[in-house]
Amino acid sequence: MTEEEKQNLLTRIGQSAKEFLYGMAGHDMTRFALKTRGSMEHLFILITMGDLLGIPILPPYYSLRLLPYVVPQISTWKRRMLRERDLTDALA
Amino acid sequence: MSLARIFNDFPNRRYIEFGGKGGLGKTTFSAATAYWLAKQGHKVLVFSVDPQASLSDIFERDIFGQGAVEIMPNLFAQEIDADQHIKEYQEEIRQKIRDMYGMDEIPEEIENYIQAAAAEPAMEESAIFDAVVDIVVGADYEYYIYDLVPLGHALYYLSMASVYDQWIGKITSLREEMQEYAQVAAILERKKESEEDQILAELQYIKNRINTSSSILTDREKTAFFFVVTPEEMIIIDTLKAAELFAKYQVPISGYIVNRVIPPELAEQDIPDYLRNRIAMQKTFLAQIDQTFGDGVLTSVQEFERDITGLDMIGKVADALFGSTLLAQAGGEA
Repeated sequence: MTEEEKQNLLTRIGQSAKEFLYGMAGHDMTRFALKTRGSMEHLFILITMGDLLGIPILPPYYSLRLLPYVVPQISTWKRRMLRERDLTDALA
Repeated sequence: MSLARIFNDFPNRRYIEFGGKGGLGKTTFSAATAYWLAKQGHKVLVFSVDPQASLSDIFERDIFGQGAVEIMPNLFAQEIDADQHIKEYQEEIRQKIRDMYGMDEIPEEIENYIQAAAAEPAMEESAIFDAVVDIVVGADYEYYIYDLVPLGHALYYLSMASVYDQWIGKITSLREEMQEYAQVAAILERKKESEEDQILAELQYIKNRINTSSSILTDREKTAFFFVVTPEEMIIIDTLKAAELFAKYQVPISGYIVNRVIPPELAEQDIPDYLRNRIAMQKTFLAQIDQTFGDGVLTSVQEFERDITGLDMIGKVADALFGSTLLAQAGGEA
């Protein structure tokens, strides 16, 4: 094993350890942060674009300015807002 | 106190507003003030925020929706076409969506929303509000004269600014909280930096625009607001109520101008009882105006023998409003 290969191996071990630790400790927190952010994103669309679901929201003029940014999320947002809920939601 | 003195004593008041019930002469006085200032070499824009604007009528030129039109040297007039503004705005939004996602056509659902939003009752006022921001932040003129909508509308317009402000404030703080979560996730995932939140940037832009517009309307240093009244009981009562409401919104009321006064000298001539009675009635209410508004009454303008249209008549009204007083040049940078 050359010096360079040794170095590579060490780097890889280091990297794996980092990822292992992240998986143990950080991943869940990241997931939670992203999930919370996702929920808030939907809440945000609700209070700015509520008209899309028939909930009148004031004032529409400036809501339109935000519309372009939420175009990709609209369909998932609608699905989430309008879906029926049951007990299993609480477990998710 | 006279009207000209307000302009001379407070040279920083560059946003001039005339308010009052419909049909009392707000547009006439707006035009006459613009005329008086322009004659003295100040660059003036008089603009209407009224969807049923009458600047075109008074200047005898069709200026509706044509931007700022030069009426005479230094005098520009503008009537905002709200429908046109809304159409352009909708198209701007559509174009942004097309550009951002490389779409050829707007998805049906989104297109429906864009169209439905334009049908909202508040849309027209909001569009005018937004257009006014464009005008006043432009800073192309020395004086801006707002030909306001009648009382109820003007209050609505002012309260709208505070509703907007609260709405934007709330959603901005939600957005900022979201941004924090995104940053936490980014740090945990060891990404170099989180994406910039474009919506947050857009919200801050909107907030800034609303604040600019409403802060001008309520700025004691830069703004002068005049009420137009006529010697009639109902007008006096309504104006008093409105003045209280305006004061709540911190509108700096600079004074009251009495319009449509029948020249009392006429009473000495041989005139029919009809006119004599009206003169007597006006005398009572002129006294009441003096009593109610006191020093706030700046000047009174007599009823003219014909409609005020065209620059000659506007010039006559300007003489009646300001007399022969000229604006001191000290504060101006003409």
